[in-house]
Amino acid sequence: MSPIAIIALIIGVPSLLLLAYVFARGSTGLRRYILTRIALTLPMIFILATMVFFILRILPGDPVTSALGPKGTPEMIQHIRATLGLNDPLIVQYGRFLWNMITLHFGNSLVGGHRLILDEMSERFPATLELIIPASVLALLIGIYGGALAASKRKQALDYSLRIYSVIIYSLPIFWLGLLLQLFFGVRLGWLPISGRIDAIIGTNLKTVTNIYSLDALLSGNWPAFFSVVRHLVLPTITLGLILSGVFLRMTRINVIETMQADYIGAARARGIRERILIYGHALKNAMIPVITLIGLQVAILLAGAVLTETVFSWPGMGSYLVERISARDYTAVQSVITVFAMLVALISLAVDVIYSLVDPRVRY
Amino acid sequence: MSDDILYSIRHLTVEYKTRAGAVRAVDDVSLDIRRGEILGLVGESGCGKSTLGKALMRLHDGPASITGGELWFDGRNLMDLSLREMPDIRGAEIGMVFQDPMTSLNPVQRIMDHLTETIQTHEPETSIATARARADELVERLGIRHERLRDYPHQMSGGMRQRVMISLALALRAKLVIADEPTTSLDVIVEAKFLDLLKELQKEFGLTILLITHNIGVVAEVADRVAVMYAAKMAEVGTTGEVFADPKHPYTQGLLKSVPNIKLDGGDLYKMGGEPPSLLKPPSGCRFHPRCPFVMDICSQEEPAFEPVVADHLASCWIYQEAGARNSSGKHQVHNG
Amino acid sequence: MAKIDEQLPEALPEGATWEVELRKVGFVRRLFMARRWYGADWWFVAISAVGVFAFIIIAFFPGLFAPFSPDALVGPSFLAPGAHVDLPVLVVPATSPVHTLQDLAVPAGADRSTVAVIEGAPTGGALNEQSQKIDQVIKNQPGGLRLRPIIDRYPTLEGTLQAVVNGIDKSAVVQTTQFNAIKAQFPTLRVAASITGVTSTAGGFMLGTNDIGQDVLSRLLWGTRIALIIGFSSSIVSLIIGVPLGLLAGFVGGTFDRLLSLLMDSLYAFPGLILAIAITAVLGPSIFNIIIAISVLYIPTYYRIVRGQTLSVKEEVYIEAAKSIGARSREILQRYIFPNVIPSVAIIFSVNVADAILTGAGLSFLGLGLPPTIADWGIDVARGQRFIQTAWWMITFPGLAIMLIVLAFTLMGEGLSEIFNPKLRDR
Repeated sequence: MSPIAIIALIIGVPSLLLLAYVFARGSTGLRRYILTRIALTLPMIFILATMVFFILRILPGDPVTSALGPKGTPEMIQHIRATLGLNDPLIVQYGRFLWNMITLHFGNSLVGGHRLILDEMSERFPATLELIIPASVLALLIGIYGGALAASKRKQALDYSLRIYSVIIYSLPIFWLGLLLQLFFGVRLGWLPISGRIDAIIGTNLKTVTNIYSLDALLSGNWPAFFSVVRHLVLPTITLGLILSGVFLRMTRINVIETMQADYIGAARARGIRERILIYGHALKNAMIPVITLIGLQVAILLAGAVLTETVFSWPGMGSYLVERISARDYTAVQSVITVFAMLVALISLAVDVIYSLVDPRVRY
Repeated sequence: MSDDILYSIRHLTVEYKTRAGAVRAVDDVSLDIRRGEILGLVGESGCGKSTLGKALMRLHDGPASITGGELWFDGRNLMDLSLREMPDIRGAEIGMVFQDPMTSLNPVQRIMDHLTETIQTHEPETSIATARARADELVERLGIRHERLRDYPHQMSGGMRQRVMISLALALRAKLVIADEPTTSLDVIVEAKFLDLLKELQKEFGLTILLITHNIGVVAEVADRVAVMYAAKMAEVGTTGEVFADPKHPYTQGLLKSVPNIKLDGGDLYKMGGEPPSLLKPPSGCRFHPRCPFVMDICSQEEPAFEPVVADHLASCWIYQEAGARNSSGKHQVHNG
Repeated sequence: MAKIDEQLPEALPEGATWEVELRKVGFVRRLFMARRWYGADWWFVAISAVGVFAFIIIAFFPGLFAPFSPDALVGPSFLAPGAHVDLPVLVVPATSPVHTLQDLAVPAGADRSTVAVIEGAPTGGALNEQSQKIDQVIKNQPGGLRLRPIIDRYPTLEGTLQAVVNGIDKSAVVQTTQFNAIKAQFPTLRVAASITGVTSTAGGFMLGTNDIGQDVLSRLLWGTRIALIIGFSSSIVSLIIGVPLGLLAGFVGGTFDRLLSLLMDSLYAFPGLILAIAITAVLGPSIFNIIIAISVLYIPTYYRIVRGQTLSVKEEVYIEAAKSIGARSREILQRYIFPNVIPSVAIIFSVNVADAILTGAGLSFLGLGLPPTIADWGIDVARGQRFIQTAWWMITFPGLAIMLIVLAFTLMGEGLSEIFNPKLRDR
């Protein structure tokens, strides 16, 4: 089975089960909420895909010609254009485009070997996942704990330092941070590798099932591979994770501070509940609710950051694929990649909304 | 301190630091709360009564702090304790019921957990099962069905939520319950039920209650004694009967006159002249003097002492005092009233 | 806001008092009184405003600050920051009228100028090269001057300089450092000029040179221009499109609002960089196209905030009051809604510029968007990536510049935000 299918199963099945459970046990209000959210996701993907389609169609040149370069004879160009259906009316092309996207028929790469784009993506997509998941976790840990910490020590040195941290991190160009880390840890200290996902030799011995190398290594008990992957993951994850953490820290801090001013916190304090528990237990839990929706919006930053991080560290994921394909003028691939990104964004937003509805009892009941 | 006085507030001052300067929300206030009584604390919005209530637990909003005075609760001066020791007293020995029960309850916490958390915070050895059992008992006494404990606050009605608040204050058999505007957000019928409940609890548990409100009617109904605050200072204190029948302080007189009386046939509503003063730059001498119908020369020059006019009925007004009536140290005398 | 009368407010002031006070003083005094009131936030805004101003000045007049032109190949490659370039300089007697190498040119038939150099030193070669260059130029000019100096070689540095003192040679060419070391012994000599015509700052390139010998500092300063052009232009375009749309959507409502909001939300949720990549890929690399690409990204931000504000202002009672006295929609929009919207827009603008610069840098780092001949920080960082092992300064300084300018604008926006909409007042 293709790696994409496996990943889809791993994520999809539990999600559907959860959804089913929520539907069964939840109130009508909850059901309606979730259905509405699902219903809104589809137009979103639709709009984004359409935008992609039209953007790439208003090329001031002909994609095929520029792809083939000087080698292309007029007959070749015509032939390929016909195969790709580029001579059909725009509406027809549009319809075909939509259908292909839904069925994941991304077609062939225009340049460099005419590989099936889907195949290429089944290697690249898991790579990106392998990067963004740990990075998100890192960002959440630093951001949420740091935000609560800053809120608890409000107006003291720690609060100001954390705020300065988050502003500086936000202003750091992510590619620069990555390069600095490379410079320091890779070049100067030589502790960590600065490119690739895994050592080449070890990599050839790895039996890949999902194409998420760390997972595959664990599954086949291949410890050298596992450690190699982890070593390669460290710098890119820190780069992406740190940048995101700045945003999360700010959000959490502001929300916790606001929440701490709520009446029920004062009431709890009047019952003798200690400050620490008030902040990390009560306020943080309540503050998390709006933060969850805000976190959902950060997916955009996550993916944009992933593109840059992958480029800096030569990490063979969807982001670097996009950049490569653009330089190569491979517009079919570019189109496919962007559409996949759009779908990813929409699905993650949906997931976040569903989680939000589960966490806030006011929506649940 | 005599035994029948549960809480003796002496010369309490609470200051707010604002950008325009320091403001005293409570200025040199002295008051005694007797065991087992319901003491009503009235005054207009902003006179400092809420701040006073919170200060009794040494709680205050951010920019405020207690800058002077002593808080003798049950034989101990709470000001001697460190802030770290205060949470042990809050909720266990002194409880508080707040104005708006909807916002005073944690929206993501079940009612049962509110209660068990309070119990376990103060008595950590209690098992969760015991805590739950005690919570059950408690709310049953207050008329809340056991199944409702699993609910979240937004699923309950206003009256029920207020009863939850009371049960939280009573969870550990507090000696003193401070009720800060507890009926303001309730409609009249619920309010009446609430007040009845308050009186029952007072009898049954031997509670002492400080009832802070701007609603004189409520005070007239349930309070044993009444204290009137004006512009961060104590104006008058006495038994409800006496104060209502024969108010000494001109402010109290005006207050009582302003209550619309359904029995009056026609006639205009009485309105006190002037406006409450700014606490940033309060009037000199007696703070009420710009609005007082009986103002004398000395009123704008010196502050009157808070003294007994008739036995246990105290007021701070020059009408009942002579200019040299202060003792030689120049301090106000507080006589237990 | 509370009613502002001459009398101070009753009850406990919750910020009302200072608002009253504010109205009594002039604007400039307000700024300084603000410092007491706002504490740290005032400093944030003040410092960042100074920073922003500095960057703007640099962007307008980079030539004033930059020692070199950004494209000029002024030095050897991969020079580390602060390393002194040992320029070969012309040393002459203090009283000599010679100021540059060219001054050594003499008419065709006259005695050729003599120059002393150290035997075996590379300065001889440099001297020859430069002389030939200059000679090629001047020999075609009227006046008949030629520059073909006679080169005398001496075994030691002292010997070289001594020859000039003694008048045997008209001038000498030695390395700057060499001369500086021994200057005290030859008080009658002075440095005329560097023979390559290049003057460096204190003899060194402060931030080093890049792979083809361009001065990093100069490129840094000149890069400010591009960064700010992209930042400001795209933000202004986003503003011009987003704000009216937001106002309209909020005010008119209905299906128009819903459709537009759906479109904007989708756009907003999508990773900006990726969209910008797509657009620039399509349109081709040029500054104009980058500006368009980036401005598309930020339209939804303005739209959402303005629309939100419009909606909440619309609900205010005074709008109903205005309508009831017959104010027309356009007047309401203009007089009530628009002024309320302005502070928020100003804040967004500031943060927006910061973001736009970041995105622009990201784009040029990826090699998309800007033609490679322009001095731009992103491009410089990308270039430096290839030489990360040898020349760390090639990535460090351009990246630092990006960070500082983004920081300045972000801090300003943050500070302004706290001042205009203090969300977290102490209770």
